[in-house]
Amino acid sequence: MRLKSILAALLPAMLLAACINNNNSKGSVAPPPVVNVLTVIVDGGPAAAPGAINHAYVTVKVCVPGSQSQCTNVDHVLLDTGSFGLRLVRSVLDAGMVTLPAKTDAQGLTIEECVHFGGGQTWGPVALADVTMAGESAAKVPVQVMDDTAAGAAPPANCVSGALINDVAGFGANGVLGVGVLAQDCGPACVNATTPLPFYYGCTSAGTCTAENIALANQVTNPVFLFASENNGIIVNLPNLINANGDSSVQGELIFGLSTQTDNPLPATGLTLLGADSNGDFTATYNGGTTVMHALIDSGTGSYAFDDPTIPACTSGSFVGYYCPVVPPQSVFAVNRGVGMNNAVSTVNFAIADPNTFVPNAAAFANLGGGAGSRNFTWGMPFFYGRKIYIGIEQRAAGSVTGPFYAY
Amino acid sequence: MHRLALKALLILVLGTNPLCASRVQAALGGDAASVLADSAEMHGIMQSTPLQQYDIHEITAASDMRVSEFLNREGIVFAVTWSGPVVPDLQRLLGAHFATYSRALAALQRPGLHRSLRIASDGLIVEFAGHLRAYNGRAYLPALVPSGIPTADIR
Repeated sequence: MRLKSILAALLPAMLLAACINNNNSKGSVAPPPVVNVLTVIVDGGPAAAPGAINHAYVTVKVCVPGSQSQCTNVDHVLLDTGSFGLRLVRSVLDAGMVTLPAKTDAQGLTIEECVHFGGGQTWGPVALADVTMAGESAAKVPVQVMDDTAAGAAPPANCVSGALINDVAGFGANGVLGVGVLAQDCGPACVNATTPLPFYYGCTSAGTCTAENIALANQVTNPVFLFASENNGIIVNLPNLINANGDSSVQGELIFGLSTQTDNPLPATGLTLLGADSNGDFTATYNGGTTVMHALIDSGTGSYAFDDPTIPACTSGSFVGYYCPVVPPQSVFAVNRGVGMNNAVSTVNFAIADPNTFVPNAAAFANLGGGAGSRNFTWGMPFFYGRKIYIGIEQRAAGSVTGPFYAY
Repeated sequence: MHRLALKALLILVLGTNPLCASRVQAALGGDAASVLADSAEMHGIMQSTPLQQYDIHEITAASDMRVSEFLNREGIVFAVTWSGPVVPDLQRLLGAHFATYSRALAALQRPGLHRSLRIASDGLIVEFAGHLRAYNGRAYLPALVPSGIPTADIR
C-alpha cells in the first residue's frame, strides 16, 4: 500500500526524467543548473547583538582553502549591497574551529586592513577562504578577519578614527557580506598611490604596521565576482511586510547571477536601470531640491537615509537619531538618475512614519527614515521590501547591459 | 644660525606663503600654526581661499583625498571637511575634540555599520557619510563659526 503511494507520487517525476533523457539523447547532456538561491532572513540579529533594526542576514560557508573538513557555516552575516567583500569576526571563526590562512605581501608581511563603517572601524588581516553560498562557490577568496580577539597586530594609530567595531556586539552581526556593484573594497586607489592610503597595511611579526599599496587580486573582493558561474550580479528579493509598523521576522532570497538561469532574468520591460559611477553611486535629488547627491541602494542601511533639516530627529526611545516627523506619516519623494549609458530617471515616492508608533521589539519596519546631516542619499532596507533589487557587478555583462548598475 | 631664529624664519616664510607648506594637516580648534606644523601625514598640496569672514585651506593629496580647514578671523580652525576613497586620520583632524567624538561613538545605542552618522556632543558636530571607496564628512564647532555663516557653507 505504502510502496504503491510512493510510486504514484514518483511516477510523474520519473516520466519527466525519461522525457528529459530522451531530449538529451540527441546532443550532449546539459549539466544540471547550479543552485543559485540563498535564504535571507531579517530578524533581531545574533544572540550576542540583539535588537537589530532592518538587518538582512545570510549564512555563509567558509573553508580553509582546499579543505573539505575545515569548514564552518557562519549565520547572521549582514547582507550588504553597499560594500564589497566578505568580513567575518575572528571569534566566530574560532568557535567554528576554522583558522583561515593570512595573506602576506611580497616582503612576507601580513596584509591587514582598516575599514570604516561610520560607527567605527573593522581591523584585521586579509585571509584566504573557499566561500560557498547555496550551490555557488569561489576558491581562495581574499576576506577580512575582524580581529576581535586581538590575535594579530594592534591597529595603527591612524586607523583608530573613533572606535573599533570588530566584535559581534559592536558590529551587530557575525560578519558582513559585501555584494555591491564593485569588485574590490579599495580598487585602484590602493594600487598605485604615491603615498599609500591608510587602508591596507603590511605588518611585521612584531606587530609594526605600515600603510602599503596592494594589487587588485590581493584586495578583499566581492565573492560573487569570483564565482565560477553566476558571477555578474545578484537579485535581492524580499516580500512586503505583513505589518508595515513592524514584523518580527521576514524571509526572502538572494539569487546569484543575472540572466544566467531561468530564475534570474532581467525583465525586458518595466525595469528601471540605473548605471553607477566608479565609486558605485548613481545620483538623486530629494523632494524637488536642486542638490544632486551621490546615491545607492544599500541593504546595509536600515532606513531611508538622507538629510532633511525640516524633519526633527527622535530624541528619546529606541530610535534616537532617526526621523520623528511632526505629522506622520510624512510623504516625500526622490528622483534617481543613472550615470553613464544607463541614465534612466525614476521618481520614487515614500513615507516616513513615527518610529515611536512601531511594534516594540520587532525587527523589520517599512517606513523608517534617518540620515540627518548626510550629503548622500541612501535607499536602505525599507526600499527593498516588496521589490526585486538587481545589482550588476562592474566589468560584467548581464544580457545586453554591463555593470556597474542597480535596477528595480 | 640660532635655532630659535631659524624656526621663527621658517614660520614666517611658511606662514606667509601657504603654497610652500605642501605637507599640511590641521586640527579642529587649532590655530594657523597647527595648519602648518602638522605635516607629512597627507603629503598634500594646499590651496588657500580668503573669504570675508574666514579662510579656507584646501589640501589635495594622493588618490583624490581632500581635506579643507576653515579658519575664522581669530585664526582658529572652526571646521574641517573631508572627501576621498578612504577616511582621513580623524584623530589628527579632530585634535583635542577627538576624545569627545570617540566617547560619543562608544556610547551609541546602535553601533556597527552606518553609512551616515551625526554626532552632536559637547559643542562638537561630526557628520560622517559614505561607503567603501567614497567617503565624505565634516566636523565643526558651532560656537566658533563666524556669525551669520550658514552651516551649509561648510562644505
